[in-house]
Amino acid sequence: METEKPARRRETEDRRNEGIASGVEGFNERARRAVNDQQLHDSIELFTHKSVAGRNAVLNALPEAPELRERAYRIKQETMANLDRYLEQMADAVEARGGNVFFATDGEDAVRYIGDLAREKGAKVITKSKSMATEEIELNRRLEEDYSDLGLEIVETDLGEWIAQLAGDTPSHIVGPILHMNRKRITEVLSRTAGEELPPDVEALGSFARRRLREKFVTADIGITGANFGVAETGTVATITNEGNARLVTSVPPVHVVVMGIEKLVPRFTDLSVFVRLLARSGTGQKLTVYTNFITGPRGEGELDGAEEFHLILMDNGRSKLLGTEFEEALYCIRCGACLNVCPVYRQTGGHAYGSTYSGPIGAVITPLLKGQGEAKDLPHASSLCGACWEACPVGIPLHDLLLKLRNQQVEEGLAGKAQEIAFKGFESTMKRPVLYRISSRAGRLAQKPLKKDRPLPGPLGAWTGSRDLPPLAEKSFRELWKEGI
Amino acid sequence: MSDRAEFLGSIRHRTQAGRYRPTNAPDVAWTRKGEPRESEPIDDPPARFIEELEALGGHGRCVGSLDEARECVLELAREREAKLLVRWDVEELDELGVDGPLGEAGVEVAVWRDLADFREVAEKAEIGLSTAEWAIAETGSLVLEHGPGKGRTVTLLPPTYVAVVPVERILRTVPEAIEKYAGGVLPANVCFHTGPSRSGDIEMSLFIGMHGPGDVHVVLVG
Repeated sequence: METEKPARRRETEDRRNEGIASGVEGFNERARRAVNDQQLHDSIELFTHKSVAGRNAVLNALPEAPELRERAYRIKQETMANLDRYLEQMADAVEARGGNVFFATDGEDAVRYIGDLAREKGAKVITKSKSMATEEIELNRRLEEDYSDLGLEIVETDLGEWIAQLAGDTPSHIVGPILHMNRKRITEVLSRTAGEELPPDVEALGSFARRRLREKFVTADIGITGANFGVAETGTVATITNEGNARLVTSVPPVHVVVMGIEKLVPRFTDLSVFVRLLARSGTGQKLTVYTNFITGPRGEGELDGAEEFHLILMDNGRSKLLGTEFEEALYCIRCGACLNVCPVYRQTGGHAYGSTYSGPIGAVITPLLKGQGEAKDLPHASSLCGACWEACPVGIPLHDLLLKLRNQQVEEGLAGKAQEIAFKGFESTMKRPVLYRISSRAGRLAQKPLKKDRPLPGPLGAWTGSRDLPPLAEKSFRELWKEGI
Repeated sequence: MSDRAEFLGSIRHRTQAGRYRPTNAPDVAWTRKGEPRESEPIDDPPARFIEELEALGGHGRCVGSLDEARECVLELAREREAKLLVRWDVEELDELGVDGPLGEAGVEVAVWRDLADFREVAEKAEIGLSTAEWAIAETGSLVLEHGPGKGRTVTLLPPTYVAVVPVERILRTVPEAIEKYAGGVLPANVCFHTGPSRSGDIEMSLFIGMHGPGDVHVVLVG
């Protein structure tokens, strides 16, 4: 048994309340700390660099990729426009196959359903396969707190998620949950669990995890998964993993519970031929994920394994608010993580700075939308609006556009700072009046005179020129040149 | 607690009341001009299947007859020093006729029927043996349909997994395989199984055999 190491700062912070129900103020402060953390920076660099290279290689080798992207967008658009009908169709299909369906308005509904089910079954051990929807509602913490009398042991089974759980940490990336931890740290965490010093090599650490988690897989009473996709037509739920944990979680315990966000629907089974190809390539640079698994209801008659009971929880938790609004496209996301990997902000700060289950560009968009703008004011500004996220998105969500719309909404709702509001109002009234516009552009040229020649801007504006040059305004504007006959 | 009608009604209200229709179709960013719009056709599906599977760390072989396929399975059992092999209860594997020879070689064979506790058997076995409904050349995948006699954990719990698949079941692409289930009723579980189980969660270093089998073999027959 190793002696307790002095706790590092990251451990001493309570990071468990990061679900959608909790506020996420303070991006700037957390980001400032993150950019000065060299170890974190190296870890992010390793992960994002490899992921982007893998994704580019495999997508470039697929000539029909642009067409697939377009089709994916159209399918999601069609799904959202008829979501009520498709949800009903899926629910009917699941019930026709002997499954149970529960509609959860929010996380609390979902937690209560699962907690009551666990009580009814007398469950002790619950195995879970990585699921962002259950992270979002902090299912583990709430089950442990609200149903403490059951003494549940809830075990995450994705290697990264399990290590995060053991460390009391939360995932910092949709696909690579512990990319922020280096091997030394992982070795510490697993050694503590093993009760002996494990060698810091991947083979030893992975083998230990396999042995330990295998005991949980075969003794679990309930298995909980998310859903990568739900098929309205057939009632099928797709769970996609490389490790095989979702397949074990759904094959061994007698009860399987799926927590699925309502936006995960696709109308037809054949639509999956578009999505599974895009997801594997965009997320992990693979042609197909190792276990692309389709579950339709409980086990059939005469089957020896597979869950005897199948429960599908269709969860809203704020999603339906976006339907029919200018933010609807945020619901098209398939959680591949590609936008995180290319984002210049994410690559500097990592996922935890966002203070939310969802980080990176998609996190900056959906966190304020799901929590409410007032709760996550910083996040729409955690972007350079470069559009790399949009370009990487396999479904073509215009993420940079949505971020801009969120900022706009902040100004309209009076959530933005006073200075920003005055600046935007001034800009607006100037742009609306030709005389003012002409005067201001001339004034700008005069005002910039003392600033040219690579000198920094004065006062607080110097932060802007600290890392970039201020482009000078042209001697004559286009309008002036046009008048002079260019 | 949410009532179903109320839940769906509120969504219907939003989809119908919402005026905004997103028009930002994904544009040109991915569209390359003058380049092929479709993947090259696959000329030799069995060869491509094996190539793809081996690239993932799996092992593929194409043999001419059932006798040779049986030999492959026996050889694997010897090499892994297996004591127990668990297999699907299907006709194709009866015809393969491995049970007798394996028994003679000291390997007990558990057939996936009437098991008191499936966990115990699948957990103890060193090798799982199945066939597959389809195989996909493009990705080196097996399409596993589960049902009576065709256990899920046979392909999951033993550290070594081998599938014997008639060569005529090879499809070229993933869409072709998905199309097989178009509009129809699916078995309770279908899995597209592509190579050994793996994880890259520790510093992006590949760990093979994370929760499922790390040692995957496919014998194509025909």
